[in-house]
Amino acid sequence: MSTLEKVTETLPPAGRGPGARDFAGRIARQAGLLGVIVVLGIGFGIARPFFLDGGNMINVLLQAAVVGILALGQTFVLLTGGIDLSIGSVVAVAAVCSGLLSHSLPAVVAVLGGIAIGALCGLVNGLLITITKITPFIITLGTMGIFAGLALIIAGGQAVYGIPVPFSDVLAGGVAGIPIPVLLFILLTVVAALVLKFTTFGEYLTAIGGNSEVARLAGIAVGRNTALAYVVAGGTAGLAGAILTARLGAADPTLGGDLLLTAIAATVMGGTKLAGGEASMVGAAFGAVLIATLTAGLTTLNVQAFYQQVAVGAAIILALVVDQLTKRRA
Amino acid sequence: MSDRSPVLELNAITKTFPGVNALQDVAMTVFPGEVHTLLGENGAGKSTLLKIMFGVQPADSGEIRIDGEPARFAQPADAMRAGIAMVHQELNLVPQMTAVQNVVLGRERTTAGVIDWAEARRRARESLARLGFDARADVPVRQLSVAHQQMVELARALSVDARIIIMDEPTASLTTQESERLFRIIEGLRTAGKAIIYVSHRLKEVLELSDRITVLRDGRLVASRTRAEVTGEPDLIRLMVGRDLAAIGVPPSAKPAGEEILRVANICRPGVLHDVSLTLRRGEIVGMAGMVGAGRTELARVIFGADRASSGTIHVAGKPAAIRTPGDAIAAGIALLTEDRKHQSLVLGMTTASNATLLKPPTRFGFLDRRRQNTMTEDVLRPLNTKMRAEMVVGKLSGGTQQKVVLGRWLLSDSEIFIFDEPTRGIDVGAKGEIHTLMRDLADQGKAILMISSDLPEVLGMSDRVLVMRRGRIVAELPREDATEEAVVHHAAAE
Repeated sequence: MSTLEKVTETLPPAGRGPGARDFAGRIARQAGLLGVIVVLGIGFGIARPFFLDGGNMINVLLQAAVVGILALGQTFVLLTGGIDLSIGSVVAVAAVCSGLLSHSLPAVVAVLGGIAIGALCGLVNGLLITITKITPFIITLGTMGIFAGLALIIAGGQAVYGIPVPFSDVLAGGVAGIPIPVLLFILLTVVAALVLKFTTFGEYLTAIGGNSEVARLAGIAVGRNTALAYVVAGGTAGLAGAILTARLGAADPTLGGDLLLTAIAATVMGGTKLAGGEASMVGAAFGAVLIATLTAGLTTLNVQAFYQQVAVGAAIILALVVDQLTKRRA
Repeated sequence: MSDRSPVLELNAITKTFPGVNALQDVAMTVFPGEVHTLLGENGAGKSTLLKIMFGVQPADSGEIRIDGEPARFAQPADAMRAGIAMVHQELNLVPQMTAVQNVVLGRERTTAGVIDWAEARRRARESLARLGFDARADVPVRQLSVAHQQMVELARALSVDARIIIMDEPTASLTTQESERLFRIIEGLRTAGKAIIYVSHRLKEVLELSDRITVLRDGRLVASRTRAEVTGEPDLIRLMVGRDLAAIGVPPSAKPAGEEILRVANICRPGVLHDVSLTLRRGEIVGMAGMVGAGRTELARVIFGADRASSGTIHVAGKPAAIRTPGDAIAAGIALLTEDRKHQSLVLGMTTASNATLLKPPTRFGFLDRRRQNTMTEDVLRPLNTKMRAEMVVGKLSGGTQQKVVLGRWLLSDSEIFIFDEPTRGIDVGAKGEIHTLMRDLADQGKAILMISSDLPEVLGMSDRVLVMRRGRIVAELPREDATEEAVVHHAAAE
């Protein structure tokens, strides 16, 4: 059948994903981000040679890990066309809870407890959004305040101290010199990218964000999948909270505010669209590393913190401008 | 046919929307191996009935039976499980996803949640190939033409192996050749024992395709007849509108065309338009035929300043016009009625009045004058025989009424040159005739009209001159007397 041959020609020969060409385009963008990270690293390295020491580079990755893990979760939500403003507060709730749990329970249980509490917060967001049909921005703006308050209430208004050593070891320790949070960050990036590309969950979130009416007419359980995206975002925020508690040796109920916006910044730098329907997990991870590199590098150059903020803000805008320009040319 | 038992029965279906009886006591019986056409003007209740069949919205009362067993469709997934697939009138694709992804969406084969893409691609390729799909299947569908997107939509329905396939105006954006290909596919499906529920406003194809025709008017069942019981188009039109209608199109009056008002010369847009030139005179309607993808819409967008040409000039009323933005074009008196009303012409969430007066909203002391906005809207739309209230949200109006609202907007803006892109696509016979009359009235008032249409009878019935485009060039200019169906198709399709 000649028409079949014709179609075969136009289909990608051996790509594994749904669209090899599309995939190549995204690889190019991610390679670009990676290139910027490398150039920045070399630049800072020339100015301050110790910047490129193994120990320092691992430290930069450790800085990136928390934001990066948050960004991965947020990417699932942005993919649906929603947003989760509460993840910073969820980090605080989970940090406090896992800190308190660690006093009486084995370290692994305390970590899993933090993740479970984060996922529970996400479930609250997801159910409120899908049942009330109120926009995610408003719902999570509300829960952002609620969760932040809960963290303070649970902690009794002050930081939780006396985090036992085994707990810190579980998350702040390392394997072959690489800290566990960094390993988790890399592992989760790979898992999230695979989920996005090769599972119905990733596919359905893409469809929902692209055109939710189409998704509904295709028989997709829009509400359940959307809610699940918030559960994933909450769970990653829970893990981030546990990591912070382990690293700091104390659980601070007031942390989280900056983390939210940095995570969103990392996500959009990586090519995820706020309007939904398009997302990149590897891009979000690179975005987090880029921001961490920039911040750490400017610190080594003794640039004051407020100038750093200006630089990071400019970098976000620049990344998206470059993205626009290359797309227009293509 | 009567010895077989029906695959789908609808009994006493009633649906009421606030203030409107959308459907009242409607019944329909569909047998396997037949093409059953649902006919009716816009607003007759066809779309509502289809939505009920597909579980998009529930009926207030009445029953649905599948193979004689009562069925309840609370959501599309229920209807799909019962073996029903639907090709929607408005394109229902996820724009960011590829053809392959869209075809298998919601029905991916998985192992532990992991999609088998090799299988998905094979399945999608198979159903795309049956349609003769010849575009890339691995780029986001938003990069494809409307016709190709429609094929993807159709391939979705074919890939599920449904027993009942609902097609809501599948040929609305297809060219003659593409439609022919679709009809062959429908024949194949019928032979394979599928039941096809078909909706179209093109009576010729309805008569060619259908085994049975059910007609709705104002939410009520008017008639359900076998093809043999129908004598011809006039018969169907009488059933639909309850009165007789003249042939398609309004032929030109005897008076000759006036002075030249638009001259487009040597327009190029790389890969899309190659050295295109044309002129329009006051008082004439110039039809623009060609296959989907020939560059007709693209040319309209360049003339209207929505896209840039790489070279070429545009003169309006003898003076060079520098048109870089739609704003420039509007100032020069050019109007564009786009093909895709819902996305490019109307803000669906705004009222009829806001949409109609969007170009120049009336103000008083710097504030929007809502009352005048309403009266202006009603004054311009009432002569068009429009059923609407100025405060109604435009998204709730029927396709024909929406097109009239767009028309009203340009009438309020003193445009001299009207470019209609598929002016009656998806519009019922009654409203179509009104829009044709209106276009002829505009021409008689000295306006110039360029009408892009894939509906050949419309092009032949309306035009003073016919231009044919193929692959980004104007390949023929036919005066009315030479413009026959054969001649136009020959030029549009020749290699």
